[in-house]
Amino acid sequence: MSFVRSAALTRTSRPRALIDFYLTLMRTAIQAQFQYRVANYMYMIGMVAEPVIYLVVWSTIAEQHGGSVEGITAGQFAAYYIVWTLVRNMNIVFTPYGWEERIREGQLSAQLLRPLHPIHYDVAFFAGWKLVVIVMWLPIAVVLSLIFHPELDVSALEVAVFAVAIWGAYLIRTMFLWLLGMTSIWTTRASALFETYVMAELLLSGRLVPLQLMPDWAQRLADLLPFQWTFFFPIQALVGELSTEELLQGLGMQVLWTAIGTGLVVVAFRRSVRHYSAVGN
Amino acid sequence: MRALRVAWLYFRIGAMNELHYRANFFIAAFQSLLALFTGLVVLALVFSHTEQLHGWSHAELLAVLGIQIIMGGVIHTVIQPNMLRLMEEVRDGKLDYALTKPEDAQVLVSVRDYRIWQSVDIVSGAVVVAVALGQLEREVGPVDVLAFAASLALGALMIYCFWLVLSTGAFWVVNMWTVAELFEGLYLSGRWPVGVYPGWLRYSLTYLVPIAFAVTVPAEAVTSRLHWGTLVAAAAFSAALFGFTRWFWRLGLRRYSGASA
Amino acid sequence: MPVIDVSELTKVFVVPEREAGLAAAARSLLRRTNREIRAVDAISFSIEGGEIVGFLGPNGAGKTTTLKMLSGLLHASAGDASVLGFVPSRRQREFLQQITLVMGNRNQLQWDLPALDSFELNRAIYQLPREAFVETRDELIELLEIEDLVRKPVRNLSLGERMKVEVVGSLLHLPQVLFLDEPTIGLDVTMQKRIRAFIAEYNRRHGAAVLLTSHYMADVVALCRRVIVIHHGRILFDGLLDVLGDRFAAYKTIEVALADGIAPLEAYGEVLERDGDRAKLRVPKAETPRVAARLLSELQVLDLTIEDPPIEDVIELVFAQEAAE
Repeated sequence: MSFVRSAALTRTSRPRALIDFYLTLMRTAIQAQFQYRVANYMYMIGMVAEPVIYLVVWSTIAEQHGGSVEGITAGQFAAYYIVWTLVRNMNIVFTPYGWEERIREGQLSAQLLRPLHPIHYDVAFFAGWKLVVIVMWLPIAVVLSLIFHPELDVSALEVAVFAVAIWGAYLIRTMFLWLLGMTSIWTTRASALFETYVMAELLLSGRLVPLQLMPDWAQRLADLLPFQWTFFFPIQALVGELSTEELLQGLGMQVLWTAIGTGLVVVAFRRSVRHYSAVGN
Repeated sequence: MRALRVAWLYFRIGAMNELHYRANFFIAAFQSLLALFTGLVVLALVFSHTEQLHGWSHAELLAVLGIQIIMGGVIHTVIQPNMLRLMEEVRDGKLDYALTKPEDAQVLVSVRDYRIWQSVDIVSGAVVVAVALGQLEREVGPVDVLAFAASLALGALMIYCFWLVLSTGAFWVVNMWTVAELFEGLYLSGRWPVGVYPGWLRYSLTYLVPIAFAVTVPAEAVTSRLHWGTLVAAAAFSAALFGFTRWFWRLGLRRYSGASA
Repeated sequence: MPVIDVSELTKVFVVPEREAGLAAAARSLLRRTNREIRAVDAISFSIEGGEIVGFLGPNGAGKTTTLKMLSGLLHASAGDASVLGFVPSRRQREFLQQITLVMGNRNQLQWDLPALDSFELNRAIYQLPREAFVETRDELIELLEIEDLVRKPVRNLSLGERMKVEVVGSLLHLPQVLFLDEPTIGLDVTMQKRIRAFIAEYNRRHGAAVLLTSHYMADVVALCRRVIVIHHGRILFDGLLDVLGDRFAAYKTIEVALADGIAPLEAYGEVLERDGDRAKLRVPKAETPRVAARLLSELQVLDLTIEDPPIEDVIELVFAQEAAE
């Protein structure tokens, strides 16, 4: 039987190979997550508790105060928090805890042996997972809508921007959490750093409440940080009354923050690998 | 009582073990403060937009938060570790070690594991409650304190029963681990007086998952708005729940022993 | 031009000293004492294309550390290494596309899916043209006879089956340099033989250089003509396996169980151990058949086993020799 030595010498082009990789891994992720669909569903249902609680509290306040708080009615709160559940799911990416495990199990070494930047693996795998999540979310959204009667008035443009914005949110958060994850190479206290980040994000991303309800100084602070572009903006794109200009500006901000995140990752990765290779693994 | 002695024994051992890991204390304290901070921020936001929520004033809502944190501390220190370990051992078939000891199995599986450092929550929650009480218009009388202690104990008992019933379910449905995450989500609802929630949710949070009894009722006691009837109902309900739990546990045990022949 | 060229390669680890006890733990908060470990100490060797070289040594000798430095995972503290003309620590893509590092007991394939799916992933990662990939893949599958294994989810495979599938996955890109770190560890004898035969065949067909570490003598004997013996981070021997055997392991051990147990055994060979009616003798290799025959005919023997000396003993001898010279 002849053997093909030439495989070592001729290769497909890099961009094509990369697309190939993404499609293959996304398909793999979909298959794998489909096997775990029950666990996935339980997790998604458990996650619903948080926004429902906020929804109920703010709707109560709204009703007590003549129908709205800062111009947001109970129905609009419902819409906000129901869309929240999808955006929250899109926000779930590879965590620093995963990084610690990856280093411990030797998987990082295995990834470093391959001629492919490890981040592609995470971006592609979770992207495939997200597709499954989006499909699984639809019935949950329907049920929540039947219970809480959201007010929602959407245009085609808003839906389109929303569809893009949720992926922008996904990318931004992937980059920044990867950045945090790499600190596991440098310290064992990466989890403390991560929890501080999560807390800041909780307050300034729109996860707790729509940002209009936050005090002014917090809103101004949020404008300087990437958090609101992973949470508040995607939700507002669909639920709020943003002008075309604001919608497009928002997408632009997402692109900007993705670029910033990516740049930081590229630089930090190089230095982190050097550190990892120096201290032993 | 024998059960208390066993519990104390395990507690001492657990404490000795965990005290060696000072890092865990700082991590637990850090997480506790973060969670507390988040809760306070939400409260502050709510306060900035309204004077009262469903008839509860600022100070009273603060008390609710404090009690939810105290009870959370109790759950994370003693109830949850034991129940999660129980589920894991049922799945791995390791429960036999517990069953062959000369102690009542239910007592054993309920008191052998502790996360001492989680009790940081009990302290921080107590501080919050104290601050809240200081801001109350009304005086807190000795009757209120007694009622508070009683309802707290009953609430803890009911949460324990709830968890044990769920864990006993592991004898039939092996993979119950997502239960812990589901519970965390549901337990967040205890931050607010249960009257805020729409009807069907309120009933679920009272009788299905006894969060109302664990948090809202003690909060009512300490803010002097508790009706005697509620306390009596709590006592009656916990007695019934405990009875059911014990019966269900023995049923599960029989199944387990029969199955692993 | 050698495929692997190593010169004065050194790796030093700095490890904090830790004692037991609460008092020591408290002290360590204030004053951290460190210890230097020279895992690899100025080693030099070179390997030509197509060679299969065994890297022998007991646990902790520095074998895995050396492999990690040669594959780019670890930066050397001092010295130079060149693999296929590349500096490994630069981790250039062209370099990574031509090497593979296989570690026993570690799996890099997707857990829940059939191996074939993971192979597809590797195809994309290594940018392999589809037709060439399919041909290589099928060739390797046939060579290791895993046609029915590749369709089952990896988690459903036994340890040995998983190893076979892992090995195929790691060779799909037809690397020119194979670093194999304890590839047969934990496998049963049959599986060990299959893997060894496979490696030999791959080397024969594709002319790849293989650097294989093991503490199983059998791995080395089956595959390598040349061995490098390493101990405490230093190379003690670099040469043909036959020479190593002849020079340093010129003996075998005979374990014998006697019916009456009191017979004097010194006449037959050096008595290493004596335990009731069991004894272990060291006998020069050439004399082993004769001594064994004598034992069987002159004594009441219940059980007799002839063994090669364990690799650790050979190393000890090599080391002792080195120290003496």
